[in-house]
Amino acid sequence: MKRLQGRFLGAIFLLWAVFTLTFFLSRFAPGNPFSGDRKLPPEIMANLLAYYHLDRPLGVQYLEGLKHAIEGNFGMSFKNPGLSVNDIISRALPVSLTLGGVALLESLVLALFMGLAIVLSGKKTASAIRFFSTSLVALPSFLLATVLIAVFSSYMGLLPPALWEGWRSLVLPSLSISLAPAGYLARVFATSLEETLASPFYQAARGHGISRGFLLVRHLVFPSLNGLLSILGPLAASLLTGSFVVESIFAIPGLGRVFVLSVMNRDYPMIMGTTMVYTVLLALMTLLGDWIIERVDPRIRAV
Amino acid sequence: MPIFKGKIRPVWIIPILISLMAIPLLFHLTQTIFNPQTQNAKEVLCSPGTPGHFLGCDFLGRDNFSRLLSGSYVSLGIGLMVGLFSTVIGTLWGVFSGASGGAVDQVMMRILEVWFALPEILIATILLLVLGHGAMAVVVALTFGGWMGVARVVRGETLRIREQLYMEASRSVGTRPVSMILKHFIPNLLPVMGVLLLFRIPGGILGESTLSFLGLGISPPHSSWGTLVNEGFKALPMTPWVLVWPALAIVGTLLSFQWIAEKIGSSS
Repeated sequence: MKRLQGRFLGAIFLLWAVFTLTFFLSRFAPGNPFSGDRKLPPEIMANLLAYYHLDRPLGVQYLEGLKHAIEGNFGMSFKNPGLSVNDIISRALPVSLTLGGVALLESLVLALFMGLAIVLSGKKTASAIRFFSTSLVALPSFLLATVLIAVFSSYMGLLPPALWEGWRSLVLPSLSISLAPAGYLARVFATSLEETLASPFYQAARGHGISRGFLLVRHLVFPSLNGLLSILGPLAASLLTGSFVVESIFAIPGLGRVFVLSVMNRDYPMIMGTTMVYTVLLALMTLLGDWIIERVDPRIRAV
Repeated sequence: MPIFKGKIRPVWIIPILISLMAIPLLFHLTQTIFNPQTQNAKEVLCSPGTPGHFLGCDFLGRDNFSRLLSGSYVSLGIGLMVGLFSTVIGTLWGVFSGASGGAVDQVMMRILEVWFALPEILIATILLLVLGHGAMAVVVALTFGGWMGVARVVRGETLRIREQLYMEASRSVGTRPVSMILKHFIPNLLPVMGVLLLFRIPGGILGESTLSFLGLGISPPHSSWGTLVNEGFKALPMTPWVLVWPALAIVGTLLSFQWIAEKIGSSS
């Protein structure tokens, strides 16, 4: 319980620190949200700045923003008149969550299979799969996306090259996001599997003559999951909040695209809102990962 | 160094090829025979093997080979610098944090954690808005987002070194902290730093090409692997060749770095 409390306080601190840093970092970029497209007369500019409270001292703006953020209200978007930040996020987040969730699932399944295959198959096959998983890590997602579009959309015409319409438009983007993490996770998983195979408790369990299936799941896979789970938290957070690269290549209206566009437009409330969503998810996923490790691995619980 | 005693492996061909590609740039050949900016409207999207353009031309009739050469120079250069800078900064942070211990270590680790939680693309985009779109701006932006992993690993390694017997001996004769770091920690960290550098360089190359592909990094008409892939993607309905060359360059380079790092990592 005490440990959980400490984690929770740590997460609160993290949220505050990220809020503060993001606030001052985004103000650090030159220009303001309205200095972009065309020169505005000074009176109008002054009015705009006053309307959005941008003429107040930075400290006052910061405290105001912090107060509203605690209430869960990030204000109105500067660049999308009439839309609040919460509206835009609640529209874009489900898209990114779906895409990221599918990608996460794909990379986990692939990683589990590849990891087990590396450990359980013969020497030749094992080194071939090892080689394959290493190669996956080195594939940039933007390149994978372009090549997938070229092959499956342009030349074969099987799957849609862009937009967000039904499950068919999920296939290519989720694949381009998930392959690199899959390779990485597979390697981490294989390493811990090898450690488990060599461990005394596994040998003992094998010596007891437990059935093969139970032996594999309970005594080989479960104890080997903690390496995987400890990197899964940050990975899940970054996948679920959307990959800007893949979302912009496939023209998917997700959070990653919204985020980068708001940074480029200096849409301060949008930057704040999306960054905080990302951080909350990061904190949640890390906590969740730790919790699952404790559930699965009695060695951690005992400490 | 067991790696250099081994057989010549196919993996080595790609880095050698790439270093050969740097030679024309070093001798300013790109200003004369291999000028990447010379346009020729008669040769738009010509196929590989056309006389004078053995890798073909892009949608403005510029020579693909020349563009690949200058792009490789930019991308590899940025990758090397990002790798070096983030390894050095990360190592300094990690050594200082691990060697100090106590409250200093706690605070430094907390800062690291917050930095990790900031979306990398936020830092990169804001820095690029401030610094412009030159190669150095890209290096700074990617270094700011890439040193934390190094710091974390180096700190762990420093904690391990701190517990060694020779460190206790050194402490007991009253060595000053600064010379402790310089004489004991850094030399013992060098192997780890080498492996980390080999992971950070492809990280930098990947970061640069992603940023440039999206139009946030190196911007046209200058070429880098990212901008070349972008142009190739646009030319895809007409010809695959503009995309194929930079794609091969990126994948080949990243793969060879990955394999080399892995070999060294597993042998040390």
